[in-house]
Amino acid sequence: MKARLVILWVAVSAPLLWGVFRALLNAMQLFH
Amino acid sequence: MHDMRGSKSRVAASFLSRASTIAPPGYDRFQVPPTALAVHLSIGQAYALSIFYLPLTRIIGITHSAPGDWRLADVGGILTVAIAVLGLSAATFARWVEQAGPRLSMLVAAVCFGSGFIVAAIGVHYHLLWLLYLGYGVIGGCGLGIGYISPVSVLIQWFSDRPGMASGMALAGFPGGALIAAPLSVLLMNHFRTAISNGVLESFVTMGVMYFMFMMIGVYAVRVPADDLKPAGTSPGSAPSQSQVAIDAAWRTPQFWLLWGVLGTLATSGIGVLEQVSRLIAQILDGRVTPSADAGFAGLISLCSMLGGFLWASASDIIGRRKSFTILFALAILLNWALPWSARLHSTAPFVAAFSVLFSLYGGGFTTIVAYVRDVFGSMHVGAIHGRLLTAWSVAAILGPALFGFIRDYAIDAGVAKAQAYTVAFPGLSLLLLIGLVCNLCMRPVSEKYHHRETAPSSRGQHS
Repeated sequence: MKARLVILWVAVSAPLLWGVFRALLNAMQLFH
Repeated sequence: MHDMRGSKSRVAASFLSRASTIAPPGYDRFQVPPTALAVHLSIGQAYALSIFYLPLTRIIGITHSAPGDWRLADVGGILTVAIAVLGLSAATFARWVEQAGPRLSMLVAAVCFGSGFIVAAIGVHYHLLWLLYLGYGVIGGCGLGIGYISPVSVLIQWFSDRPGMASGMALAGFPGGALIAAPLSVLLMNHFRTAISNGVLESFVTMGVMYFMFMMIGVYAVRVPADDLKPAGTSPGSAPSQSQVAIDAAWRTPQFWLLWGVLGTLATSGIGVLEQVSRLIAQILDGRVTPSADAGFAGLISLCSMLGGFLWASASDIIGRRKSFTILFALAILLNWALPWSARLHSTAPFVAAFSVLFSLYGGGFTTIVAYVRDVFGSMHVGAIHGRLLTAWSVAAILGPALFGFIRDYAIDAGVAKAQAYTVAFPGLSLLLLIGLVCNLCMRPVSEKYHHRETAPSSRGQHS
């Protein structure tokens, strides 16, 4: 049950974290 | 042979039925938000569709627009159509989504959204604009609408003690989807670009398949609570005892139309700000608008909407829905005045700060409205009523750009310089938000004559 919970959260948050990282990188360029 | 086919279809029907999604005893309810996120992170791609607009005008010329290529104005309406269809399909299929259950409705959403991309890709291949609109706008739009409302009821049922947080977790995935889709679209187009293709067609096909598969995580893993479930962390008396209003009675109440006004004004002004923001960016950066600055602002919009969507909705569980929307509207009105003023400072930081908070408010409005619907009408048909409420978004998608185009033209005709026309649009936005604030302040409990008679605590999943 715990493994299923972890797998589900990792599966959906991995692409989201990638998107957030890319957005932050782009946003930082606004201040340069 | 017929028996085998019959048994296969029975297995499929059984897998998709609401009964087969009932969670076993001891099921951890935190397994449910990722299923909603799988759907919303996919359909949120719609907010990053504009990345394809310029490449779509270079299908024939590949590196530049050639004679016969579509113009920007030709393809610029795809998102408007998709959002309009989102609201209409959410309203049309709202009752069906409640009856069919989350698994079947998520599957239909995945099929529509995925196949929408494929049909749009065929439209690109044969260079048929109407097929592009039919694919992404209409078929994909149905996927957006059904997908948007499919996890709402389930999450409200699982998290009846924290409906704001539940809706925040799911619906904040929609702007989050744009965060993923923006770099993904660029990555795919670069990967598929050749001497004879700019990669749009191949990217559409790939995205159709990828999003279909990602949404299947939700289809496979979603579970509804058993009727006798008491959410973890609640005592039997801790959930507010609520009067339930059925979907057919809900839209006849003044409360429905007040909520419609709240969402409609918020959505229209959000679209209005988006329309003006590119001009503000041009001013703040003294016309030096680079693709990376544009991408930076686009990412900020999605990021702040996502964070605001989750935080505002969660906070509304503590401070109350009506009070949350009052604060939200008051801040949005103030910031709409502050935004053009901050742009005049020619400094990035105050503008970015005002801009970020403003978009967190818009994100918060879209997620908190679900918990508001649940507070006003009860949890019985919350998903369906929310679905009907989304027609306000459709109207905003169509009327919003037209309204602000009209205000802008009016300002230019009145002698305001073209580059400064946005200064007139912002007070217009504030006025619109003021109407939303009044709608919110007028909110009162629903009259008893609209209450559902045979209401029982176990009415979950049953419909009149």
